[in-house]
Amino acid sequence: MHIVIPAGPGGGLDGTARETGRALVELGLVEQVSFENVSGGGGGRAMAYFLENAERFDLPVLVNSTPLVLRSLQGLFPFGFRDLTPVAALVGDHGVFVVRADSAIEHWDAVLETLRNNPGKMVIGGGSVRGSLDHVVLALALEAADLPVRAGRYVPYDGGGKAMLALLGGEVELLSTGLGESMAFVAGGEARVLAVTSATRITALPDVPTLKELGYPVVFANWRGLFGSPTMAPQVRRELVDQLSAMRTSPHWEDVLERRGWTSLEIDAAAFGAYLEAQETQLAGTMRNLGFLAPSDDGG
Amino acid sequence: MWEGITAGLTTALDPGNLAWVVAGCLAGTLIGMLPGLGPITAIALMIPVSYSLDPAAGMIMMAGVYYGAVFGGSTSSILINAPGVASTVATSFDGYPMARKGQAGRALALAAYASFAGGVVGAVALLLFASTLAALATAFQSPEYTLILAFALSSIAAFADRGQVLRSLAAALVGLMLGTVGTDQSAGVQRFTFGRLDLTDGLSFVLVAMATFALAEAFRMVLAGDDDAASTRFAHARLHPGDARAVAPAVGRSSVLGFLVGVLPGAGATLASFFAYDLQRRFRRSDAADGARGIAAPESANNAACTGSFVPLLTLGIPGSGTTAVLLGVMLSYGVQPGPRLLEAEPTMFWGVIVSMFIGNVVLLALNLPLIPYISRIVYLRRRVLVPFVIVFSLLGVYLTSLNSFDIFLMLAFALAGLALRLAGFPLAPLLLGFILSGMLEENLRRTVLLADGSWTFLLDRPVSLVLLVLCVLVWLGPLKRLLARKRGTQGH
Repeated sequence: MHIVIPAGPGGGLDGTARETGRALVELGLVEQVSFENVSGGGGGRAMAYFLENAERFDLPVLVNSTPLVLRSLQGLFPFGFRDLTPVAALVGDHGVFVVRADSAIEHWDAVLETLRNNPGKMVIGGGSVRGSLDHVVLALALEAADLPVRAGRYVPYDGGGKAMLALLGGEVELLSTGLGESMAFVAGGEARVLAVTSATRITALPDVPTLKELGYPVVFANWRGLFGSPTMAPQVRRELVDQLSAMRTSPHWEDVLERRGWTSLEIDAAAFGAYLEAQETQLAGTMRNLGFLAPSDDGG
Repeated sequence: MWEGITAGLTTALDPGNLAWVVAGCLAGTLIGMLPGLGPITAIALMIPVSYSLDPAAGMIMMAGVYYGAVFGGSTSSILINAPGVASTVATSFDGYPMARKGQAGRALALAAYASFAGGVVGAVALLLFASTLAALATAFQSPEYTLILAFALSSIAAFADRGQVLRSLAAALVGLMLGTVGTDQSAGVQRFTFGRLDLTDGLSFVLVAMATFALAEAFRMVLAGDDDAASTRFAHARLHPGDARAVAPAVGRSSVLGFLVGVLPGAGATLASFFAYDLQRRFRRSDAADGARGIAAPESANNAACTGSFVPLLTLGIPGSGTTAVLLGVMLSYGVQPGPRLLEAEPTMFWGVIVSMFIGNVVLLALNLPLIPYISRIVYLRRRVLVPFVIVFSLLGVYLTSLNSFDIFLMLAFALAGLALRLAGFPLAPLLLGFILSGMLEENLRRTVLLADGSWTFLLDRPVSLVLLVLCVLVWLGPLKRLLARKRGTQGH
């Protein structure tokens, strides 16, 4: 098994790939796993490399995440998930909206009210470029409340960490970010989560409502999962899915999830493909409203 | 805290951990010495090793790799003018000329001693103030970053030699423009990428540095035609008599400055080394040890800053640089979440890592000094041997970081353009500095203006901003006065 990672070492994608590979080997499910980091081009170079060199490896696997859907929608690279064989989504990170612990804002509805009454005044930070994950999740949540995303002023930072620092330093009032990146600050009592984009409440945050229960039907996860080459045989895919399910039920994997603070996602094979298509539809509308897609354009 | 320090001592002196700090420092410093390979590559290469260790040993080793690579990073800057990491660019300003004068051993020894001093001062500061200095990181927001970057750019005018101010500024402008290639952070659109995936992440530092410094210099040597080696031969790692006393104040100032700048996420070792070099130029005394101070100042600053960058990493869980981002990934893979609670949750690791830095710096000095006589022979090679060596290593350094052959061609184009600029009398250091600062400056400036709703009053109504603004103006006074004086001079004739 050879896993291609479209990012440098040390990040979330790299961690997912290496933890999965290690778990599969230690559980005796796969004999040997090698890894290759191919960064650049917002993941596009890894994709091109993978498609070009897949036949050189016994079992080529590409790890990827939600930005794959976003970037191919934006037409940033000429590939999409349809050029690959979806194998399984393994872990997910839900979007959260965070304020400083001492903020006057107590409830998500208070945010919406401020945005409605004073459009364009509230400063909302995020850990990524406009038109990418944090911005789009914010837009999804605002759209569900019939608010244009311009009701808030989105300010991008170079990574979730620096965005959190800006929140703590008082430069932004609200932060759109991932649960994983903000957990340490929430647990440390420096920041508060107003709402989360998961389907049900998060075990670690029993008091935090989901957007869904607040009446805004937005469920969104930044998935990380595995893909095979376009020519992957159905038999091979089935075997790999079985191995991954065996891994999921193992104590080893439970330990990984616990240690990393990841939420398990269990979406396999064909269901994963359908999930991706649904996410693409969900995001395309919002991206169009944000002006990152031409109205009649399907992402070309 | 004393309890913590004793616990840290026990952890750091554990024979296994001692072995790992030595291993980490050795790997880091050797990898860091190679042109084009910096701490980030060194750490990435050691990740597989770290997986097999327990968290304390792993972090002790990885920290060793990091400051080890910074320690060794000056080598290629000094010997072949090939800074593999942005924080050693300033070292090449005075280091490379000294090596070409035949004093490579002295230059390297100065860098080693200064790095050691910076590392130790940094470790002391980290030990004493780690938990209190985190506030500094949150006090600096976008307006402050904008102005500190403007200050760094302003000092280009001060770096410039007499009569070179305008050319320096022009070169810096070209550098700023090169930094705009890639994805626009604020709008999310592509700029100057010509639809190429290779350019969407912008130009890499290593590529621009290797092209404009190492390769352009190699080409210049070819054009110069003569085949002499560096003139005289003092390969031994010896300081000149009086060097130690001459550089000591510069090292002290730079270490403290470096540590403080290092604490700021995003600013880090690069700005620290430039500021230290700039500060040193202001204290200039034009004596024989001037070049020595020009090496010692940035080297002590970048090592102290590297230690300083552990403050936001450990106490806030926020990586200030690409390198600390990878370190954060390593910590997360151990299930260790750095942040405000790390000190309570993982006291052994927290103090163990900090105390091990003292041991690591002694190890690094002991490793580096004996190597200097051998490594410094490189500059005594004849040019027909040296030039191909430099070309191969700088191309290799760039290719190994990206594994993208497009980068090689891009780099050759940049090197030729750099050579043309040099021949036309434009200095390339401001170009590189402009390029390094461009992205950060743009990001922070645009954010500041966005936050202030398009108004520029943030310059005046924030105390730290105001101080930085005044500093910028002061920096400009010197060159302006010179410029006016010259004008008056020509009018008088």
